[in-house]
Amino acid sequence: MKASANTPVRGWRDRVFSAATFFFVSVFILFVLVLIATDVLYVDRKAVATVLSSKFILHALWMSVWTSLLTTSIAILFAVPMGYALSRFRFPGHMLADAIVDLPIVFPPLVAGLTLLVFFSQTTLGRWIQEDLGLEFVFQPKGIVLCQFVAAASFAIRSAKTAFDDVDRRYENVALTLGCTQWGSFRRVSLPLARNGIIAGGILTWARAFGLFGPLMIFVGSFRGRTEVLSTTIFLEQSVGNLEVALAIALLLIFIALIAVTGIRLVGGSALVRL
Amino acid sequence: MIRAEQIAFHVGTFQLQGLSLDIAGGEYFVLLGPPGSGKTIFLECLCGLKKVESGHLYIGGREVTGLEPRTRGIGYVPQDYALFPHLCVERNIAFGLRVHGYAETKVTEIADLLGIRHLFGRRTDGLSGGEKQRIALARALVLEPKVLLLDEPVCALDEVTRQEVCAQLLGLQRQLGLTTIHVSHNLEEAFSVADRAAILHRGILQQVGSLDNLLRKPKSEFVARFMRCENIFEARVTGQDARGSNTRVEVATLELQIPGRHTGKSLFMIRPEDVQVHSGSTLDGQGENTFSATLVRSRDCGGYVRAELAGPVNLVAHMTHGAFAGLKTKHQPSVIVQLGLEHIHVLPV
Repeated sequence: MKASANTPVRGWRDRVFSAATFFFVSVFILFVLVLIATDVLYVDRKAVATVLSSKFILHALWMSVWTSLLTTSIAILFAVPMGYALSRFRFPGHMLADAIVDLPIVFPPLVAGLTLLVFFSQTTLGRWIQEDLGLEFVFQPKGIVLCQFVAAASFAIRSAKTAFDDVDRRYENVALTLGCTQWGSFRRVSLPLARNGIIAGGILTWARAFGLFGPLMIFVGSFRGRTEVLSTTIFLEQSVGNLEVALAIALLLIFIALIAVTGIRLVGGSALVRL
Repeated sequence: MIRAEQIAFHVGTFQLQGLSLDIAGGEYFVLLGPPGSGKTIFLECLCGLKKVESGHLYIGGREVTGLEPRTRGIGYVPQDYALFPHLCVERNIAFGLRVHGYAETKVTEIADLLGIRHLFGRRTDGLSGGEKQRIALARALVLEPKVLLLDEPVCALDEVTRQEVCAQLLGLQRQLGLTTIHVSHNLEEAFSVADRAAILHRGILQQVGSLDNLLRKPKSEFVARFMRCENIFEARVTGQDARGSNTRVEVATLELQIPGRHTGKSLFMIRPEDVQVHSGSTLDGQGENTFSATLVRSRDCGGYVRAELAGPVNLVAHMTHGAFAGLKTKHQPSVIVQLGLEHIHVLPV
């Protein structure tokens, strides 16, 4: 560990303290790297070739990518106005609304799938949407997006709220005196200043949606070439004994997750720290 | 130009109560008060950033009470300037022009006026307090407002820069003929710019007038103390003088005269710079309101010496270095104190 130029002069006690914190960092990182290395060592060339040549797996990869990106877009579409409203306005039930936003983060993802299945198959409104309105979600690709949205949108909303909380209201006030409407001050001042936090939330949402498994198995199943995504493919492959192939797909997921997490650090690290 | 009629606003336990104020066109008006007195809230009400609960606000003869901030025609510089951190200096200044879709030629003009053109491409972080202040001022002035509202505009600056910026603010205000309200808790700042001033305390306007008026004729003990008068005494009236124009009072064991006719209890003040201190220890032939005292402590305050005196009453005197040296207090700490009747101001009890 190299100290930065603005680090104060440190005595031996401080060095011991720094070393102790660094010890935990090292143990954790080493543990994760060992796990990844185990996967890498276990996977053979044949498994990688299978993954890269299987049209079902490539279809699942494509499904994972487009559904998670669409989910992220929709989540950000909701997150920006919701985050701003929760940050700036006080209204009856504000605290409850704020708590409800966090619910999908807290409950097990499986619950999202189960709840959606019950809603669309057991309630009048759900059946009306599916049967009369013709918007079919259960065991349909559309259902993947809905399921991912329910399980992951909270990350985007929470992140956007935190980002807007961090924008000093005085900037908006000055913008108002300089001729902006509230929309104008939002567009020209608040949104650009909250941008990094919103992007960081978007990346988190995408990562969660991309790796979602349990609720998808319940709500849309895992039909080859139709509703199968990468995470469900891993489950299917390992359940039929193709452990090497399952691990090769897992490595693909890890690689994509690594890119996402690095992206968070590069784009909105400071905002992410405060989530 | 600016008129506030019975403005009321509350936030939490704080209340702005029935605040009424008239500020003439082209006037440099300083709103003084300790922190938490409601100065910023009043300014924000005037901007339209806070909605008043009752009362009326007029700017240039037009009622603006219910108008949005953008239509009030004001330039606003908030405390700590609130420069947009995502924009460079030039775009900060041009912000208002861009919002209105006006040409940005005025940006260089105002930047030249304030001497900040060389900062155009820079981000706002890393600028000095004085530079930030000038940029915030330029941003507010670029739309050519008739009214300029400054919230503690120089409080974050060092003493030398503060004096420079105050002089620049006053020069600019005179040059552009701007009606200006400058909020501050600093008396020196007010003296360097104000045509008139008002003192606000706990949401209530205590007094409005020239600084000399606030200094010499405060209407309350709070105003007197805010204007740094330390010599405030509570006195018991004992009678009238022979002509009946002055009142005899007793402060502790001291018999004094105060101007005017008063009954019961009375509160009066004399400014430290008006206390006359002479060398010597005998009172022979010294006249009314004269008593002997002892110099307890003295402190060189730069332009004057602050002398703490103990006697029948304790008081503080501000003296020139020459006058203080003439007392020769090194050998003889006893002095004669005289409270001139013309300098005594009676405060409402």
